[in-house]
Order: sequence, then C-alpha cells, then structure tokens
Amino acid sequence: MASAADVRSILSLPSTSSSAAGPSQSKKQNAVATRKPEGISRELYSLIGPSAPALAAQLAKPRLKQKPNLGGGGSVKWEWRSFKNGARSDSLELGHWVKAVQNPSADYHFAKYNVQPTVYEWSQDEYSRHLEDSEWTKEETSYLFKIAHEYDLRWYIIHDRYQYPNGPTRELEDLKDRYYSVCRKLIRNRTWAGDEASKNQLLVSFQYDKEREILRKKYVNSLANRTSEQIQQEEALYIEIKRLEQNERQFKRDRENLLRTIAGIDSGLPDVVEDDASLIIADPKKKKLKGIDLDIPQTPLLTAPVMKRPPALNKNAVYDATHCIIRNEPPPTTPATKVAHTPAYLRSYKIPYPKAAIAHKVNALLTELGVSHSRLVMPTQASCQHLESVIDAATNLVELKKVLDKVNQDIEILKNQLELREGGDGGSVADADLDDRGETAEPEGEDRRSQSVMSARSTRSRKHSRRSMSISSVDTAVPTSTRPGTKRQKRM
Amino acid sequence: MVNYGGDEVSALVIDIGSSSLRAGYAGDDTPKAIIPSAYGYIPPSPSPGDGDVAMNEAGSSENAGKAKSYFGHSGPSIWRANMEIGNPVSDGLISDFGPIPALIRHALEDVMRCSASEHPVLITEPSWNTPANRERMAEIMFEEFQVPAFYIANTSVLNTFAAGKGTALVIDIGQSTASVVPVVDGFVLRKGLQYSSLPKLVHAHARHLLTAPNPIRPPAELYPYQLIASKQPVEANAPPRYTLRQDRLAGTTQSWREWYEAREVEEWVQSVAGVLDQGWNDQVVQHRQPKQYEFPTGFNAWFGPERFGVGEMYFLHSPQLVAGNPNIPKHIPGLIIDSLKACDPELRQVLISNVVLTGGGSLFSGLADRLGAELARSFPHFKIQAPGNPIERRYGGWLGGSILASLGTFHQLWISREEWQEHGKAIVGQRCK
Repeated sequence: MASAADVRSILSLPSTSSSAAGPSQSKKQNAVATRKPEGISRELYSLIGPSAPALAAQLAKPRLKQKPNLGGGGSVKWEWRSFKNGARSDSLELGHWVKAVQNPSADYHFAKYNVQPTVYEWSQDEYSRHLEDSEWTKEETSYLFKIAHEYDLRWYIIHDRYQYPNGPTRELEDLKDRYYSVCRKLIRNRTWAGDEASKNQLLVSFQYDKEREILRKKYVNSLANRTSEQIQQEEALYIEIKRLEQNERQFKRDRENLLRTIAGIDSGLPDVVEDDASLIIADPKKKKLKGIDLDIPQTPLLTAPVMKRPPALNKNAVYDATHCIIRNEPPPTTPATKVAHTPAYLRSYKIPYPKAAIAHKVNALLTELGVSHSRLVMPTQASCQHLESVIDAATNLVELKKVLDKVNQDIEILKNQLELREGGDGGSVADADLDDRGETAEPEGEDRRSQSVMSARSTRSRKHSRRSMSISSVDTAVPTSTRPGTKRQKRM
Repeated sequence: MVNYGGDEVSALVIDIGSSSLRAGYAGDDTPKAIIPSAYGYIPPSPSPGDGDVAMNEAGSSENAGKAKSYFGHSGPSIWRANMEIGNPVSDGLISDFGPIPALIRHALEDVMRCSASEHPVLITEPSWNTPANRERMAEIMFEEFQVPAFYIANTSVLNTFAAGKGTALVIDIGQSTASVVPVVDGFVLRKGLQYSSLPKLVHAHARHLLTAPNPIRPPAELYPYQLIASKQPVEANAPPRYTLRQDRLAGTTQSWREWYEAREVEEWVQSVAGVLDQGWNDQVVQHRQPKQYEFPTGFNAWFGPERFGVGEMYFLHSPQLVAGNPNIPKHIPGLIIDSLKACDPELRQVLISNVVLTGGGSLFSGLADRLGAELARSFPHFKIQAPGNPIERRYGGWLGGSILASLGTFHQLWISREEWQEHGKAIVGQRCK
C-alpha cells in the first residue's frame, strides 16, 4: 500500500517535512543508498550489513587482467609479395610476407646494410712515381688490394686466403704494411678536397708500424708458449710479491701503532707514512755512512725527513734564552732512523729514580722532609733540577749511612775479637786487620772470609756461619762507586 | 616484421652428413625431414628378384641402370632380398653424386611435400669440400631441381652461427669424421683446418671389443633383428639361444649386414660406452657402475671398465697403437693443438675462449667434460659451448643454415638462376667464399 510520500513523489510534489515521512520509507531509502557489493550473497549481506567493506572487497569476484591494446585493433592483413633486393646486381625476385599496408615500391629494407669500404686504385703513372717497392710487384700489389677488398679488410682471412702464384710467402704484417703504406702514399700525394685536419686524420687511421707489430706478436707468442711450470712459477712469484707487500704494510701499520702507543699521539710524530719512502731512499746512504764513520754527525739531509721539523731557524742562545727554550741535542751516535727518534716527553718523566734497593729508604727520607718525589706541582727545568739534586743528596745520605753502619759494626766485631784475644793468648792485631781488609777488598774470597769468621765465631757450626756471612755480605755490599773511596780510606 | 634482422623468404636448408640428411625450412629450429644418408638398392642382376616387394614403398624411385633404390626411414633399414646398402657420403664428403638427387628429392617431395623449384635452397658442405664438389652440387640444384636461387655454406661456419658467434673454434664430431676448424668473422681459416676419421677408429675399437674372443664372455654376434626368428632369455654372459631366419639368410647381402652390424655397434656405443672425465684412472674405473646391454640375439652382458676404454680413444692413443699403425687418425687434443698452431698467435686466445662442441658424436657420454679437462691442461682460459639440447647438438649445421637463410642481409648473397646461367660454375667459388 502506497504511503503518502509515494503519492507525493508520483505527483512530483516536494515532501512536506522529514517528520511527515513514515518509518517504512526512511528504511527503504537507506537500503537504496548502500547497494550490495558484488560477490557477496544477499543473505550474508543482510546479516553483516555494509559495515564490512574490507571483507566485501576480498569476496569480490576475481577479474582477468585487461588485455593490452596493441593498436591495430583487429586483424592485420599480410600478403605474400615478391621483392627485389637493391643490393643485388641481378633481377632475382624472392618472396616474403609483409603487411599489406606497406608501400610495395619501397626499397628493400636490408639493402642499406650492404656497405662497401672505399677501395684505392692507382694509375700506372702513380705507381711508378710513388708506389715502387723492391719487395712487391705491381701485379701482386693489385692482387693484395683485390683480395683485401673481397674480404672487407679482415686481415686474418686475407692472410689465410692469400695465394699469389709464384709469389714469396707473405706474413700478415707484410700484407698489412704494404696495404697501409700504399694507402698513405696515395692520400699524401693526391690532391685533397677537404681540409688538412681531416686528411691528417685519415693518414693516422692508415698508420702502421710493422716492426712494432712484429715485436708485439713475438711477445704474444712467448706469452702463449709458456710451459705450465713457468706459468705456475710466475703465479707463485706473483702471490709471493703480494704477500710481501701485505707483510710490509702490516709491519708499517704495527710500527706506527706501536709508536703511537708508546710515544702517544702528542709525541709530534708527524706522519709515519711519509717517511717510509725516505727510509727506503735513505737506507743505502745510511749504510754507506755507517761503513765510513759512525761518529759523523747526522747530516740534515738524513735527519730532516725523519724529524719532519722545520729547520731550526732561530737556533741561537739569545733567542732560546728569551723564549725559555732549552734544547736537548740527541746523542750523536744514534742513527737517524725512526727507531732512534726521540719523541717529545714531559720533563718530569726524566727525573732519575733512586735504585730499587734503597728506594724505600730514600722515599722515607724524602717524606720525612716533606718532599713529594713522584709529583711536582710545577716541573720547570729549575725545579726539576732541584728535585734531582735533592734525590741525589738523599741517595748519598742513605748510602753513607749504610757504610757508616757497616763500619760501626766492624769496629764492634773487632772490639769483641780484641776482648777475646786479651782473654786468650793475645793474638796479633795485624791478623785481624788483614782479615778485615780481605773482606772489603775481595768479597768473593769466601774461603778466607769463612776462615776469619770461623775464628771469630768458633762456637757456631761452619755451615751456619757461612750462610749468615753470605747474608751479611749482601747486606753490606756497597755500590761500586763507593768502593774505591773505602779502599782509599783503608790505604790512608 | 623485422625481428633480429630476419626476413624469411621460405628458403629450404639441406644438410647432408655421413649418417643422415637434414632438410627443412629456413627459420625453423628443427629440420622437418631427417632421413638416413644410406640407401638401399637392388642391383639389376640377371635374376631381378622379387621386385613387387617394394611396389608400395614411399621412398622407392627408379635410379640409373634400372636399379631399384630405397630411401628414407623405410629404406635401408628394412630387409629386402638382395638389397645392397650404399652411402653417397664418405669422410664427410659426397663421393658419389649418383643417388644424391634422389635422396634430396625423397626428403623434399616425399617427406616435406614441397617443390624445390619454388624455394631458394641453401646446402651445406664440409670445410674440406672440393671446388668440383660444390660446383657439381650447384649444377644438380639448378639443372635438376630448377631452384630459383642457391647457396652453399660451410658447416663449420654454420655451427658457429648456430652457437650465436662469429668467431669460434668448432669441434665437430660426426659419424665418420671429427674436425677442428677455426672460424673467424664467419670465415674458415683454411690453414688451421684439421680433421681425421677418428669416430671410425672408435667404432672399430668398440666392434673389436664386442666381437673378439674374451675370457669373461663369449664374443657377441651382431645379427640384426630382421634375421632372428626366435630367441630365449639367457643369463648374463651365457651363450645366446636363438634361431635365425633361414629363409632370409640367403637373400641377405654383405653390405646390408655390414651396415646393420655397424648400427648395432653404434647403438651399443651410444648406450653403454663412455669416457672418464679426468683421464684414465684404474681406481676410478673400478668404482663406476657396470652397464648391462642385450643384443638382438638375446645375448646380454655387464660391461665394466672396458666401456670407458672406448671413449679413451678420442683423447689418447696408446704408444703400441701408434707404433702399429703410423697413419692412425689424430685424437681430439692433437687436432686442437695442430689447428691452433697454424693460427695467428693473437687469435689463439680468442678461439680457445670460444670453443663450440657440436655433432652427434659429441653426445658420447662424458665427452664434453673430458674435453674440458683436457683443455684445462694446456690452456689457462677456455670456454666450451656445447648445446644441452641434443637436437641442436646433432643438427647444429642445419640450424646455422636455418638462421643464415632467414636473415634479411643474407638475401643479396644467393646465386640466382640468372647468375648461374650467365657466369656458369665459376660463380659458386666467387660467391660462396
């Protein structure tokens, strides 16, 4: 049953208002607005509604790919036509299938590929004036040009087919040389229509160096005739060279790394790579130098590339003094290689350390004085020198004290001996004195020493005493520098 | 229309070899007609035999001297009383032009059903063909077949083209001849041309291996199926039990038997014989699987290491063998080395990097691998192109002809009828270089 809205629409009257429309009508309009997509069944669509477009897209029927439109649009008419080939001199007619739309009177498509090289010819007059050659007759030259033209200047083929009756055997180089030299002569001696540049260009294109070609062929031949052992040897040598090069590179890199680690990046090593070359160059010279005299001071030629420093322009005392520059000359005996290169260093690193044996005593002494040995607040040259002298003094002090202790002990021992002797038969003092001297002058003379000790401490066992004595000798071992002093003392 | 420079003028390509004659349309990839080169004929003897046997044969045709000839697949392979077998081709060259027109006519008219007078014809020739031979061929085509245009091309060059090259070293192993030909820019270098009847030597060796007395097995008898009435299955290496067709034995000619026995040997070679890929090695040979083969008589045997000895003949001749026959055909490495030696040193590297292996004989099991191993011994860089498709390998010459005769730029090279009439035989040598 038609609603009021239907009647209105039939009569094409505008609808009064939205509220006037019945519920049934609005529903219908909705259904019309969202059409059921293709490929989905009506029942399913009524269930899921239009809210699943992705699903609908998947369910859409697959369609075949559009066929490409290649133009033409329909059947092309082909026909069998006979044709003449413009590259042929006779009237042979062959047939082929062509599109009917093609122009029947057009030239054969492939005729244009029939290109002939320019062929040079000469008159009798030209030949006798320019082209005479003791090796070649005019007839053979003509034959060469004919066959060269016939095989389109494919020289390997020409050489293969070249058979001039009663002629000498010609090598490929002979043929090429003759052909090109004749062409060159003809071009040079004929009047040239074009400009000079194009003529020269043409001449260059006919250039042929027979000797060089023969030499080249000889090389090719020897290369091809190598035996497999030779090839293997060559290969092995090549690999060897590669390996050596790689080793060299590795060595350089390692050395550079090492230098950088030891000396630090700030050591002023400019670029290690550069002086490799100079090293190699300098090598023979260096050897020569060494052979002649080691004490020759380093020439600037050798040192300059290694140090890579600008030459010392202001190397004078006044300049140095005003700018507080102190120069440390490298020892003259060191060779001028990189190995001997002294990198820049902190001055405080060069402060001498006391000997390990007495270091702790020296340190203790310094601490007592309130001097930090290991660290200087301001390591200027002066303060470094001061510290050095303090350490020296402390070392001396410690050593002196050691000597003093020893001498005191000796005195003690001697006193004891004296007491014993006085208690006994009153032995000579000279004997003891001799013993003492022996001990200081010859610390190695163990037998004598042990004897003297034996006599000194007779109550102890021999073995025991020896050990104790050796300990004491270590204890009392004085530096060699001090020994002459003590000796002198003794002698005095 | 213009595809890769092709322009087909429906030319015919005919490739005549020792074993078969191939004919087809230029532009195709396979010949339409492949018929054996050998043909059967019954000579006009005082007793003409039963001529009615061949009445309905497709390939029968009347030859000169009233001899009845049989061509094609139902030609020589069918037993006929008193039928002799002939082959116009020997050592790759056409030695007897008598049956050639009939053979071509059979291929074109009976198999392909076309007339040579309507098509330009391209014919192949071996690289060592004589000028007289090619002129005779031109004469046959122009005078007997009335072809509108003719060209004769070299099989080595065509094999190069079939491999898609212009320069190559073509190693062509056929049924009767093995050749190594350097081709540069589509021309044969005649100085480097080398060929020998090596396949015949291999064949003879195989035949000797089968028929000579052997401690392991009885010698094989190579009777063809046509002569065997019945047979019973037997164990391997046991003597065969068969009965011959006595009615046929009397009418069997010597040439037919020889031809068929050669076929049996050929079949054995193709299915059993092989070659080791790395040269002869007693240990390796012991590990290879033996192969069983049964002959038409029912005799069957397992062939172990000996089957590899056959292929070794292609690559190595034992010193005793060389000492015994000084004119022994050169083996393949020898041919290659001699060929390259004759070439310019600059060309050698180019050629050896473009080796084309072709011909039905090259399908011999393991031959391509072995050739690679042999070349690797002498040359640091080389490349062998051997088509994997047996059709392309066997009919490479025909395929190259098919390519050449369908090229647009080739059509200026045809010798036309007009030129033939004008210049005569000389034009063949001038045009076909």
